[in-house]
Amino acid sequence: MSSLHADSLTAYLVVATLLFACGLLAIATRRTAIGVLIGIELLLNSAALQFAAYGRFRAGAVDVQGQSASLFVVVVAAAEAAVVLALFFAVYRTSRDVDLEQTRELRS
Amino acid sequence: MIEQGLFWGCCLVAAVGAIGAATLRNLFHAALLLGLCLLGVAGLYLFLQAWYLACIQVVVYLGGILVLVLFATLFSSDILGERQVPSRLQQVGGVLAAGLGTAAGLHLLVVTLDHGLRLEQQRGPVDKADTGFGASGAIGDLLVGHWFPPFLVAGLLLTIALVGAVATVKRYRKAAGGTA
Repeated sequence: MSSLHADSLTAYLVVATLLFACGLLAIATRRTAIGVLIGIELLLNSAALQFAAYGRFRAGAVDVQGQSASLFVVVVAAAEAAVVLALFFAVYRTSRDVDLEQTRELRS
Repeated sequence: MIEQGLFWGCCLVAAVGAIGAATLRNLFHAALLLGLCLLGVAGLYLFLQAWYLACIQVVVYLGGILVLVLFATLFSSDILGERQVPSRLQQVGGVLAAGLGTAAGLHLLVVTLDHGLRLEQQRGPVDKADTGFGASGAIGDLLVGHWFPPFLVAGLLLTIALVGAVATVKRYRKAAGGTA
């Protein structure tokens, strides 16, 4: 416990690992596409947190490369959310639901 | 002491939010707990002296992506999660996936702390706030400097994604008339 505090990399990596595991759990167990989307967001957040943490604790680092990498993760998440919402809309138009087990085609 | 309390609060909020978002059957509640998790991570960014990133996390994730996710829950006919019971195969797959994710994360942690990067953890991190670390200016300098090509690619990716999203949603007229 002594190594788990605000000035230790360990604590951030443990939280990021928990987020990663929860994201994978959500992707594997959810039956609806929205649950899977939530899982993907958790995975991306875990990656962004790890980038920022490593960038902060890298020896002698005064640049912000880790944070910039996190920024790109946020960009990817925003693009992914926009595309996925459009796909939900297209799927909803054809099958009136976004259940992954019932959706078979996008063609209207 | 107060700082440590706030740090543990952020960790707890992020952890509880993530677990709730992954396990709650009610999709609306799961999306709200995802927001709680994102807020906790934004707090952790503050402890990492990533001020700009914390602002981006709140504005883009909480203000944008979370709203999209909440809006998307309306597409589901089973918001309350009455049919959201995972099958036996999904349960086994979920436990396996989560176990593998945990193992990968812990392996990364052990490798990093054992013989990985020369981390400041061994001698305590230096306060980098006076060097401009984490401010928008430092990130901007990097993005228009060494990281300019990936910055352009990111802009292109966003443009393609938004145009693709509009093209997917837009209704096209059929040749015979009416809408498709």
